[in-house]
Amino acid sequence: MRMNETEKELVEMVLAGRAEAFEPLVTPYRGPLLALASRLTRDREEALEVVQETLLRAYRSLGRYDAARPFRNWLFQIAANESRDRRRRKMRERAAFTEVAGRAPAAADPEAGQDRRELREGIRRSMAALSPREREVFVLRDLEDLDIRETSRALGCSSLSVRVHLSAARRKLRQAIRRDFPHLEVG
Amino acid sequence: MMTCRKARKLVPLAAGGDLRPRPAAAFRAHIDACPECRRELEAFRKALGTIREEAKAAGVAAWGEDEWSALVSRVRAGAAGERSRGADRAGTAFRRCWAAASALGVLAASAILYMMFMAGPVPGRKTAPAGPGTVAGRAEPQEVLTMTMVSPETGLQIVWFFDRNFDYKGEQE
Repeated sequence: MRMNETEKELVEMVLAGRAEAFEPLVTPYRGPLLALASRLTRDREEALEVVQETLLRAYRSLGRYDAARPFRNWLFQIAANESRDRRRRKMRERAAFTEVAGRAPAAADPEAGQDRRELREGIRRSMAALSPREREVFVLRDLEDLDIRETSRALGCSSLSVRVHLSAARRKLRQAIRRDFPHLEVG
Repeated sequence: MMTCRKARKLVPLAAGGDLRPRPAAAFRAHIDACPECRRELEAFRKALGTIREEAKAAGVAAWGEDEWSALVSRVRAGAAGERSRGADRAGTAFRRCWAAASALGVLAASAILYMMFMAGPVPGRKTAPAGPGTVAGRAEPQEVLTMTMVSPETGLQIVWFFDRNFDYKGEQE
């Protein structure tokens, strides 16, 4: 999916100095960006900061954007990089960093039944237990539907690395679901 | 022919359609011939579908009221700040250029003035004869100054000599 004409025009307007064109350019991606950042950081406040920094970086480097590539994937790449940079900074800052799985409070999910809420909470916990790279790959490929090539491009790694981590992530998640929710495996 | 052990390793990727073409063909051939691995693939596919669906549907953060507008405003303000800092840098560079040019101008003017008033006499230069009844003098600072007096009645001409401090050094008719 290439960039559509409207986006192309908006990019050209921003590059011509019309800053007001930036908001309509990025507004369609506000939901996906926040969802991606939330899944990668597992902290809403931090996710908001990631989105803000992502947009600022996108604004600054819009001149280098390759229009042959989907704009969404380009934004995702910046957001994934920003999330990773933040995680590394945090890990450096905290010498004895101990991640508590399930640190982020579960979002209110009133319409889901009890079983479903438990399942979602279980998936969230299992995702939190993945390695950072496994989580990134799983989120981009399975939840944001980027293909292997775009995922590898977004993460700056080889497609082989993406496949290895994706396979590990899926296997771990499936094992966790099988262990905690055996009834889902029946039939 | 692919073994079951090898096929099981590929199941997580195969379940999402993420195998490269060549292994995918070998995997398909094995699955077609192996009911156990086919069941495993189907079970994994189902589990992956559930995980994807529920993880996508799980309450991810939504934008609060006015939160998005505030964030975009901050981004635009940040970008504008960078631009104005850039403009400031350009303005500062421009002012610096002008300051340097002005300093050079002052320096050049000082050098010219110094050469005009403080440097020694130019060899071969002669004082133009003064008009009758006037005092002609050299205003240029030099080692020896001369002052010429010409009488309009007699045509007598006297030249007085002074040093640079205007001390009288002699005269010549």
